[in-house]
Amino acid sequence: MEVFEHLATGFLAAGSLQNLMFCFIGVLLGTLIGVLPGIGPIPALAILLPITFGLDPLSALIMLAGIYYGAQYGGSTTSILVNMPGEASSVVTCIDGHQMAKRGRAGAALAIAAVGSFFAGTIGTIFIAAFGPPLSAIAQQFTSPDYFALMLLGLIMAVVLAHGAVLKAIAMVLIGLLLGLVGTDINTGLTRYTFGISGLWEGIEFLPLVLGLFGIVEIIRNLENPPPPREPINTKFRDLMPNRQEIREAYPAAIRGTGLGSILGILPGGGAVLAAFASYTLEKKISRKPAKFGSGAVEGVAGPEAANNAAAQTSFIPLLTLGIPSNPVMAIMMGAMIIQGIQPGAAVMTTRPDLFWGMVASMWIGNLMLVIINLPLIGMWVRLLSVPYRLLYPAILLFCAIGVYSTSTEPFMMVLMIVFLIFGYILLKLGCEPAPLVLGFILGPLMEENLRRSLVISRGDPMVFLERPISACLLVAAVLMIMLIIFPQFRKKREEAFQEE
Amino acid sequence: MISIKSPQDFGAGVLFILIGAIGILTGQDLAFGSARSMGPGFFPTIICALIILIGLIVAGKALVVEGPAIERIQFRPIFFLIVAIAAFGFLISKVGVVISAILMIVLAAYARREKVNILETLIFAAATAFFIVLIFVYALEQPMPVWWW
Repeated sequence: MEVFEHLATGFLAAGSLQNLMFCFIGVLLGTLIGVLPGIGPIPALAILLPITFGLDPLSALIMLAGIYYGAQYGGSTTSILVNMPGEASSVVTCIDGHQMAKRGRAGAALAIAAVGSFFAGTIGTIFIAAFGPPLSAIAQQFTSPDYFALMLLGLIMAVVLAHGAVLKAIAMVLIGLLLGLVGTDINTGLTRYTFGISGLWEGIEFLPLVLGLFGIVEIIRNLENPPPPREPINTKFRDLMPNRQEIREAYPAAIRGTGLGSILGILPGGGAVLAAFASYTLEKKISRKPAKFGSGAVEGVAGPEAANNAAAQTSFIPLLTLGIPSNPVMAIMMGAMIIQGIQPGAAVMTTRPDLFWGMVASMWIGNLMLVIINLPLIGMWVRLLSVPYRLLYPAILLFCAIGVYSTSTEPFMMVLMIVFLIFGYILLKLGCEPAPLVLGFILGPLMEENLRRSLVISRGDPMVFLERPISACLLVAAVLMIMLIIFPQFRKKREEAFQEE
Repeated sequence: MISIKSPQDFGAGVLFILIGAIGILTGQDLAFGSARSMGPGFFPTIICALIILIGLIVAGKALVVEGPAIERIQFRPIFFLIVAIAAFGFLISKVGVVISAILMIVLAAYARREKVNILETLIFAAATAFFIVLIFVYALEQPMPVWWW
């Protein structure tokens, strides 16, 4: 089997002492940040991105992937113990996880979440290994119109499938696209929207934008409305074993969650958050005792936790094979790859197989490490929750500033970060969620270039997008998605799906 | 008499219209070109037009549909955080990372409303600066001045 050969290459690359170490540091830092209140995976990745600059690309990506699912993992721990989701994809875990904890089954809930996630992570890894090569073979036949249509579909789905106001989210994507165009136009050499500032000639730097919009605005949000202090429920390591009844309820839910999450993760616009919500809804629907949900249903923990982890894994597939990030977290990963000098896409698998397969293998290793380090260290993570915010936020701020300084020593970069912090603050006050903006920002130049090329090939005839079968299908799907939001029945369903919180 | 039913959405709509308008006005000297050969102004102009369109819809809807009010703006947190970042950014190349980091943490501490324990803050700032030097300068070997010499 070719898949296993590939995986062997991957495990060889990821299994080096150095890479194992960075994987370990990554999951550890990720969990640490995930446990801390108010820092989701996007700011976590942004804040820790600079640490990886000095590493070689594979180690850097392994560490970043580790941070990502570490953060997710940490988020479920706080959901269960404190009823405080560390990030959006563990919001649903709060509902039943915390109820289980209140009933004295905190340890069991944590163990079910951990083992369910690990199982999902394993399946997710196999998914990537199996679907990566055929998808990237298809991707190599993609031409400019296909890519343009794919990005359009991805952006539309990202807006439709995320929760929040659709129109505002579309505007955020568009503003992101516009910001992505700032700088020198590669075709004419003219500078666009630089307002005569030389620091913008090469485009808006990624890190000041992300840190300003997410890292620092989050601090301001917490300072303005301090979250109420909550007492974590105490757990000891020996309480971790779920009883037989719980295991019987958990494992089918985890399997369903894994399947659902794996599929939703691949979809453009899908990802961990959607997967968790969808799995919760599914479990509630097929359960024989739906009334039990909300008061500590085991399935309500096992399903969503497996689903969000599976989706977190498989959402790497579009990024690694098509070069298109399917959600804002993947946009940050893509930004990191570009900073490392790698253009994500179908070519990565053939030109750098060690990189591709090494990363895939490291995901499984990282998941294993998470189970091993997290469960025994629960006590330590809980104690972390008592670090007062008054000490935490200045340190986060300093990390952001150092991060920006290490990409460029220009004082202008700090000015840029301040500009985006003010912009992010305005967005916060106006109820606009900035995550879709990052997606647009990363895709802006790519979309323009593919649109231009498509129209050059067709001599200006927009029908080119409908004549090619691939792009035609993608555009039809995009139109269907738009119709779905306009169609009131579906809109109600979508609101229901995200209403569990 | 038209009244704003959803201040948050109305503000967002106005913001979008403003951004789109700035984009179109400042991008006026960029050649639009034609579909056959897109100029540098082609794609941005389309995007700005779409942003304005959505801005109009969002603002228009805000006149009809009830929505949340805009939360009060608190100047203290954002002001001190900006000052802290600016101080760090302009001082680091002159006095080195240790002093600029300590200064940043002390300034940032004043962003919250409660009384600041200056001794605790200074000790914490010094310890954090020490760790930053350890991680970024020694472990990661980032080019960064530690002191002013």
